[in-house]
Amino acid sequence: MNDIIAQPQVLRADAARLNITWSGNNGELTDPISYDLTDADIKRMASEAVRQGSIPGIPADPRVDFTDFVVDRFPATEGVPFPRVMIRPKTPFGR
Amino acid sequence: MIESAFVFDGQGRVIQYHLPAGRSSGYIPDSNDLWALLMKHKDILGGVAHTHPGSGPSGPSHTDVTTFSACELGLGKRLLWPIATDTHVTFWGWSGPGPYDYYQIHYPACPELTRLTDGIQRLRELSEMRPA
Repeated sequence: MNDIIAQPQVLRADAARLNITWSGNNGELTDPISYDLTDADIKRMASEAVRQGSIPGIPADPRVDFTDFVVDRFPATEGVPFPRVMIRPKTPFGR
Repeated sequence: MIESAFVFDGQGRVIQYHLPAGRSSGYIPDSNDLWALLMKHKDILGGVAHTHPGSGPSGPSHTDVTTFSACELGLGKRLLWPIATDTHVTFWGWSGPGPYDYYQIHYPACPELTRLTDGIQRLRELSEMRPA
């Protein structure tokens, strides 16, 4: 028997899921990333992934630019049992 | 006045006032909640208005235009960005060619503008309140 049974995904202790929002679409990098990467490294990785169209749910966009985006980090919780890293636009006003 | 903001739809109707902790007379801090709100309503979103202290017409700061640009890129749509002082309201939108090239827009009287102006008046009142 070669039944394929869905296995729960297990991440390394220092790994996280990367969620990206770009041009009205939201998607997740298929491979986990290191939770401890710098913001600059995460933006670089996300930019490359969007340029190549390798994020399900986000069409390829060669003009992607995360310059004014921020990186949020969320540790694992009971409801979401793995760390998450999210790239989203910044939202402050003033000064 | 404590800086405050509100999110409105394409008809000028208030979706939600944004009065986060940590805002001051010159600053509204970054907020994941505000971004989540914008994404939730992206299909009907018209823009985000915010206050500046003082009177007279006021233009966007560098922080403002970089936020305008980031949000529009994240949403994949252009928005209207009103700025209200005690006495004036100016309306800002992207004209390009650069990513931070936002220019003042002048609107004729219309129902959408009337609704928006009502929301801005309420925003001014809320801006006088100290944050919780």
